[in-house]
Amino acid sequence: MWDVFLLQGLAGGLVTGSIYALIALSLVIIYKSTQVINFAGGEIVMIGAYLAMFILFFTGISYWIVVPLCALGTFIVGISFERVVLTRVKGRQMAGQSILVAMVIATVGLSYVLKGFVRLFPYTEEVRSLPPMVDSAPIFIGPAVITMQDVVIVVVAVASMSATWMFFQFTPLGRALRATADNSRAAVLVGIPIARMSALVWGIACGLSAIAGILIAPKVLMTPDMGTLIILAFAAAIIGGFTNIPGIIVGGFLLGIVENIVGLTISSNAISVTPFVVIILVLLLRPQGLFGGSSEVKKV
Amino acid sequence: MPRTAHMGIAALVLAVLVAIPVLGSVYVVYIANLLMMYAVLAIGLDILLGRAGQFAFAHTAFFGIGIYTTALINNFTGLPFVLTIPAGAALAGLVGVAIALPATRLRHLYLGLATFAFAEVAQWVFNNWEVVTGGANGLRFRPSNTGFMEITNDIEAYPFVVIITLLMIWIARNLNRSKLGRSFEAIKESESVALASGISVNRTKAIAFTISAVFAGVAGGIFTLFQSFVHPDLLGFDTLVLVLSMIVIGGLGTLPGILLGVLILGLLPEVMRDLEVFQELIYGIILIAFLMFMPRGIWGWISQRAERRRAVESQVHD
Repeated sequence: MWDVFLLQGLAGGLVTGSIYALIALSLVIIYKSTQVINFAGGEIVMIGAYLAMFILFFTGISYWIVVPLCALGTFIVGISFERVVLTRVKGRQMAGQSILVAMVIATVGLSYVLKGFVRLFPYTEEVRSLPPMVDSAPIFIGPAVITMQDVVIVVVAVASMSATWMFFQFTPLGRALRATADNSRAAVLVGIPIARMSALVWGIACGLSAIAGILIAPKVLMTPDMGTLIILAFAAAIIGGFTNIPGIIVGGFLLGIVENIVGLTISSNAISVTPFVVIILVLLLRPQGLFGGSSEVKKV
Repeated sequence: MPRTAHMGIAALVLAVLVAIPVLGSVYVVYIANLLMMYAVLAIGLDILLGRAGQFAFAHTAFFGIGIYTTALINNFTGLPFVLTIPAGAALAGLVGVAIALPATRLRHLYLGLATFAFAEVAQWVFNNWEVVTGGANGLRFRPSNTGFMEITNDIEAYPFVVIITLLMIWIARNLNRSKLGRSFEAIKESESVALASGISVNRTKAIAFTISAVFAGVAGGIFTLFQSFVHPDLLGFDTLVLVLSMIVIGGLGTLPGILLGVLILGLLPEVMRDLEVFQELIYGIILIAFLMFMPRGIWGWISQRAERRRAVESQVHD
């Protein structure tokens, strides 16, 4: 009996965990290059899901076209927010006032704008869901059941994360972005346009969030308030110390599994509080994250 | 501003405070009570955020502790509010210390995330600890009393709300001018410089945290004076963002500015009652617009202009 429970929890956890890892990745690449924690991250996910819903609803084209289209849509949202709002907020701050605090509050403002904007559209007041991506018989792994849909979710999530990693690792643009994140002054000296780089990072992160939104929409209820799931990504990011990307991805999977097992063994009521407890415990006991690293917290 | 102008403003405020219950309807008095409660809440958050520069999101948790403690003590003992409100504030302050001691080790955004998580856990507890808080059904509490009479409506509550609010404003004003208030500023500017000038950074942060929590607890007490029911939904992130916006719009770290911010954002839902669909959108736009174009808030903008005019005038005289 317990084996089935555990196996099912593990399988379900890996599926949602892969999405949490993807959202956490989008948070962390923003944090690494601009030191901003994006409180609107969940709303970008939500926008991605609703974009997909409207495109599917009105055109009925295939998911393989919808996904990149939505990613492009939020890519533009991300770049415009960085260019129009954040650059301005940064430039306007007086000495002595914390620029970061202002920038983070601006992302809170963005989350309200996006939520309020989506609510203006029809079909958003009631709970929605996206149609399944694939229809086929579930797969049995021992006693545990996995749907084909779940397999697609994991594959797409992992593929997106790998593509991001390869982009940052092997392309000249990716290297320039990493250089900017590591040391922006040195990056300027070697001729990298760092202002454009932060905008690009925001764009890429928001694009990834849209993919995550489309993946998670069939699993959760779609409402304009679904952005609260960002807290799971915060928790995953904190497990990885907010900078260690492999640690963050492991954190995402771990969180998905823990959440599932809490739901199966304690109560479904306790699921919602799990990520917060994880955040508090990790920050109190190992603020540098679970995976190595010195305990030094970077002074910003 | 010259002294006569100060006196003029004080007289005007006093006149408005007297006029509200005399001329206004019950609803107007209710709004006045609500705004004063927000004022205490916002001043408390500003002590931590605007003065000491600590990025903390746990304010609604302390507000909730204040409400539930005050209401429950009142339900069980019927003690007068001069005892129940300090009890609620004290418990909020105690939890504040307990949170502050580990939290002050965290810097900046980590502190923000940790306190955000704490606030969410607190809201979850309010929602699920049914035996004590009534859970998601909310908690109905009996009217608070002065020891001589029960406070059954907004008009009866009003004078007490005014007194408590003025008291808290006075405390905040004196705090800002005290040595402690200046060490808050020092920490905000630079922790290492503050440390070098002999300020115990962690202890001062913990004190700021505690005072801020006490203010939130008092605001919770004020809530029990003019309300008779509390639901955990009140104690979520939305309330925090509202109070945060009040501070940002009025001007971080400026007492008159915060009162202005409370007035503006508190009355906004009344003005646009027909536009409820747009409420979130408008809040977001206001918040972003202020950060972009008036980062020091309305009060910062006013005082900057006044300074500039004074500079021009002194040049003319020369």
